Amino acid sequence: MIRYLLSRMAHALLLVIGVSLLAFLFTTLAPGNYFDEMRLNPQIAPETLSALRAHYQLDRPLPIRYVSWVNSVLHGQMGFSFAYNSPVAPLLLVRAKNTLLLTITATLLAWAIALPLGVWSAERLGRFPDHVISWSTAILLVIPDLALALGLLVLTVRTGWFPTGGMASVDFESLSSLNKIRDLAMHMTLPVAALVLSALPLLVRHVRASVADVLHAPFLLAAEGHGIPRRTLLYRYALPAAANPLLSLFGFSIGALLSGSLLIEVVMSWPGLGPFLLEAILARDIYVVIGGVLFSTIFLATGNLLADMLLYWVDPRIRAESASR
Amino acid sequence: MRNCPATVARCRILFRSFLIFSAVICQLAFAKAQQNNANEELLVLPGEVGRSGGRLAVSLRGEPKTLNPIIAADARSREVIGVMQADLVHINRATQLTEPALAKSWKISPDGLTYTLVLRKGLKFSDGQPMDADDVLFSFRVYLDENTHAPQRDLLIVGGKPISVRKIDAQTVVFQMAEPYGAGERLFDGMAILPRHLLEKPFQEGKLGQIGSLSAAANQWAGLGPFRLKEYVAGQRLVLERNPYYWKSDSKGNRLPHLDELVFLFVPNADAQVLKFQSGETDMISQLGAENFSVLSRQQNGYTVTDAGPGLEYNFLFFNLNDVGEKAPADLQRKQKWFHEVKFRQAVAAATDREAIVRLVYQGRGAAIWGLVTPGNKRWGDANLSHPPRSLERARTLLKEVGFSWSTGPNGESILQDSDGKPVEFSILTSSTNADRAKMAALLQDDLKQLGMRVQVVPLEFRSLLDRVTQTKEYDTCIMGIASYDADPNSDINVWLSSGGTHLWNPSQPHPATPWEAEIDHLIEEQMSARTFDQRKKLYDRAQEILAEHQPMIFLASPDILAGAKNSVGNFHPAVLEPYVLWNVEQLYLKSGRENATR
Amino acid sequence: MSRWRKVAPWLLVLAVLHGIVVCAGFFAPYDPIEQDRKNPYLPPMRLHFVDTHKHLHLRPFVYAFTLRPGSFDQYMEDTSHPLPLKFFVAGDRYRLLGLLPARLHLFGADNERIYLLGSDAFGRDQLSRLLFGGQVSLLAGLLGAGFTLLIGWCIGAAAGYYGGWRDDLLMRVAELFLALPWLYLLFAIRAFLPLAVNPLQAFFLIVAVIAAVGWARPARLVRGIVLSAKERDFVRAARGFGASDVYLLRRHILPETSSVLLTQTAILIPQYVLAEMTLSFLGLGVPEPVPSWGNLLSNLQQYSVLVSYWWMYLPALIMVPFFLGYLGLASALQESPGAYKIERRSLGSLA
Repeated sequence: MIRYLLSRMAHALLLVIGVSLLAFLFTTLAPGNYFDEMRLNPQIAPETLSALRAHYQLDRPLPIRYVSWVNSVLHGQMGFSFAYNSPVAPLLLVRAKNTLLLTITATLLAWAIALPLGVWSAERLGRFPDHVISWSTAILLVIPDLALALGLLVLTVRTGWFPTGGMASVDFESLSSLNKIRDLAMHMTLPVAALVLSALPLLVRHVRASVADVLHAPFLLAAEGHGIPRRTLLYRYALPAAANPLLSLFGFSIGALLSGSLLIEVVMSWPGLGPFLLEAILARDIYVVIGGVLFSTIFLATGNLLADMLLYWVDPRIRAESASR
Repeated sequence: MRNCPATVARCRILFRSFLIFSAVICQLAFAKAQQNNANEELLVLPGEVGRSGGRLAVSLRGEPKTLNPIIAADARSREVIGVMQADLVHINRATQLTEPALAKSWKISPDGLTYTLVLRKGLKFSDGQPMDADDVLFSFRVYLDENTHAPQRDLLIVGGKPISVRKIDAQTVVFQMAEPYGAGERLFDGMAILPRHLLEKPFQEGKLGQIGSLSAAANQWAGLGPFRLKEYVAGQRLVLERNPYYWKSDSKGNRLPHLDELVFLFVPNADAQVLKFQSGETDMISQLGAENFSVLSRQQNGYTVTDAGPGLEYNFLFFNLNDVGEKAPADLQRKQKWFHEVKFRQAVAAATDREAIVRLVYQGRGAAIWGLVTPGNKRWGDANLSHPPRSLERARTLLKEVGFSWSTGPNGESILQDSDGKPVEFSILTSSTNADRAKMAALLQDDLKQLGMRVQVVPLEFRSLLDRVTQTKEYDTCIMGIASYDADPNSDINVWLSSGGTHLWNPSQPHPATPWEAEIDHLIEEQMSARTFDQRKKLYDRAQEILAEHQPMIFLASPDILAGAKNSVGNFHPAVLEPYVLWNVEQLYLKSGRENATR
Repeated sequence: MSRWRKVAPWLLVLAVLHGIVVCAGFFAPYDPIEQDRKNPYLPPMRLHFVDTHKHLHLRPFVYAFTLRPGSFDQYMEDTSHPLPLKFFVAGDRYRLLGLLPARLHLFGADNERIYLLGSDAFGRDQLSRLLFGGQVSLLAGLLGAGFTLLIGWCIGAAAGYYGGWRDDLLMRVAELFLALPWLYLLFAIRAFLPLAVNPLQAFFLIVAVIAAVGWARPARLVRGIVLSAKERDFVRAARGFGASDVYLLRRHILPETSSVLLTQTAILIPQYVLAEMTLSFLGLGVPEPVPSWGNLLSNLQQYSVLVSYWWMYLPALIMVPFFLGYLGLASALQESPGAYKIERRSLGSLA
């Protein structure tokens, strides 16, 4: 097991290196650079722009830039942002924290709702409650997240129940600790709701499909014959057997912790990684983009690693296979 | 202590002397304070007198990146810097004329080469340190320094040479130019005076670019503007507080600004700004699009939205008139043959439905334009410029005159073809993120369809578009918009001059490609050094007329400046020059005892 | 054949819906790109059977709209101006199935235009745009999803079945694909394409690229199932009998993946159709003036449209039956679970 873990971590490192190389390549392929927008400013002469480009070493060949970037990563700075004129790492860390706050809450909530709902629906497969869940998840599935987020926003403007975006009120600093938590919770409600609503249908359908598959298994029938109570049957016997695709999905949830909420963050003005990276991509602030990609890759690799480990642990069939190898 | 009469008497004497003593001290102190006030020369602003106190919240579309004017390249940073810094001579955004700011008066020498400015007395930076001519010298030294690459440097080069600065005494500074410059005093607008006491050392160490980041401590930065840094929360907001040393007062002698705090909230886009304004979380909104203006004007509860009239932004279609050379693809060369034909361009201009653009894109809140100078520019419009209405007939006649003809296609539509029989097809580039210009492109596409031209609208992400237009020059036509930052023609000089970087149809020419471009160059350079307004206007009018005749840019429409504020905000007078609502931020105040902006 | 009975109604519904979209030229009253600049953002015209004099008409009619004076987009019904609906009229030219020129439309009116679903910013008929838009979007969605799933299925099955270093390699490549900033690649591709490329072709190319990139997720899901399935007793038994890899895969293992695949199909199709909204934000979507569901919906990204013109939501509503049809079909095909089929028939079930 330890050997497996170590080898996977080595793979993750290789992945990160590979991603950084390719990301570097891609950002150079796309035409334009950060200083292009200043071309349109009638006040700035082209010579100033070329001087700026040389100053930031944008004219050097790719391998040299890559090496100096790796150097800066090892020093904890992760490159330099043209727009903010400061190292990338502190800029990313602050915003990554905000994003994680949102996505971890939403992921936990979504899974906590999806599992019981999916199991309940699979139990009553083909009957009325299952149809209700099926149809409502279907409708939720076809509504784009953008529409969901915008709809929630419009609702909030009309009713005034929640703030229209942002993470904190203007007078946040002067609130008491309890009120600060309350303020944060109010601001988080809409984005979390949007994230949960957009993730829920997929999860519920997959849970339902895999649990429904398993419910016909003879071992479950035998267990029921033994008198094991229904709740235990469903959650401790059926669910682990059905867990295979769900664990992969869970791995995706972890992997998407940093990147999955980009749209919602932009629409709801949540100060996370999403809007920051989007602006950097459009402005060609390449080191910020590469830094963001790197962060996301680390989460992705972690998520997949977690999924593989869980799969190995939960599904005895896979364990048996690698034991016999 | 026993109440001994002698002691009591002594106490009384002591007490009285104490009173007299403190009274004298107070008088002296007061006199000193008066003297301080007398030493300070405040700029008295006319206009409504407001209530002191309160916090105003506005939203910014995006985040400011830095507080340092030398490295600020984006519009958000400039907005924030604008309320934290001050300049020597300022352009009043309402009248569009210059007026004294940090300099209380100035003299121009008869030959137009020397400007002598006299500073106010008693000026202090926001951290209390005094400001004098040395700071001015330092600031301009930094702006002109070749290794700093400040964006301001190019503006300070007149007649090919940077202007020189020297001081006469602590209150007087002299600027020397190589050539007379017609818009001379306007040069100083926006040139923030930097604090020498904080920045000289970093400048000498070459680290000036690293100062002024938003997350640095508040006491490491100072300016002469009405507000100074209080708090910054990354990704969310910037809180500024009143500068207690600000050098302006209202007509009753109260030191400005009225507001205690100014808060900038960062939102990602225009729609989020509207949401925040509608829900009451912000007090003012500017740069409203026409559609959002309609939405807001439908239910004005607690706020008012204002249409300040046409602004200075001009949107236009331009043709690729670059000399692409023999190696360019054959169809680009063929298309350029059409584009170089002036009657072809005039035909496209004649087919343009400007009225539809104003109505459908700006919901009527805009103006059709036929030249670079918009109706929002009070002094420089050419009254003689013709405004021909849309006429497909005239377009067809013009096209026939240069050898184009029509044939019928497989689906019954008419197809325009050139003298070689090739159908006329080209593409219009537009920025994918600008919804207004995308709409204009769609309207133009339909207009030109009626002439038989097949036009494709190609939305490109903005930087890819810039790359094509300014670097690789591989495009057919493009729709863009430029917002002049000043009413004076010199703010658009790089559009007029053939060597300019924003002379978009053929930028940065080593020498003028056509005789009419050469003539425009000549006229513009002459008006730069002309001394009186009338002389400059005559030359500028002629330049506008030449441009209208040759139509390398087909001007389309200019949007109105739309803004809004809560009814509790006093002195709200949006202007058509940037910054549209914050230009008089020191005079803004909150009415009727409401301290906060809450729902 | 109870399975067929469950599946048939969904197939019928989908066939009818797709038929309407394929014959959009006939069902739509007007050319989707024709502008009517006097009537931007017209609300839908209501069908009436009873006029203001309380007379019943068998032929439905609508009232023309006039602009409320002084406003830009507020209209009123002009009850003095009824427009009766005529059926099977000759209207704008179109090509049925892209080949046969025709002029017959299901309905229309004389001289004036009827807007049953309202108009957009340029006065174009939303109903026509919706029907023609379905052609582009459904094609893109189906092709994209099919392509993705095919690649993902093959790679996932190979990784799961062969295991070992092949599995490692393929899954690492999958992770790479999931992690990269494809936005930049898309910008680069768009920039490298010559402007003269037909924008519609450019769009399909982008869809192909997205599909080729999106295989990683289904691949991982399939791999997980295959990993588990290949150790099942009946598979081992079959192998003991000398079954070849291909036979095992085809007969025993791959059917296990059907449930996951069907769910993914039903999910990916709407996702790809809606992904076009994001693409058009970046300038990579279907260009003007060609309609598609993605760019019809991208109008809703503007707050002003969201709150002022409710009929712009209708494309979303019309898409719902299509997507529900796919989901229903996927569900119906999935109702009989794979491995435990035999057991169920003989032993009954928990469910």
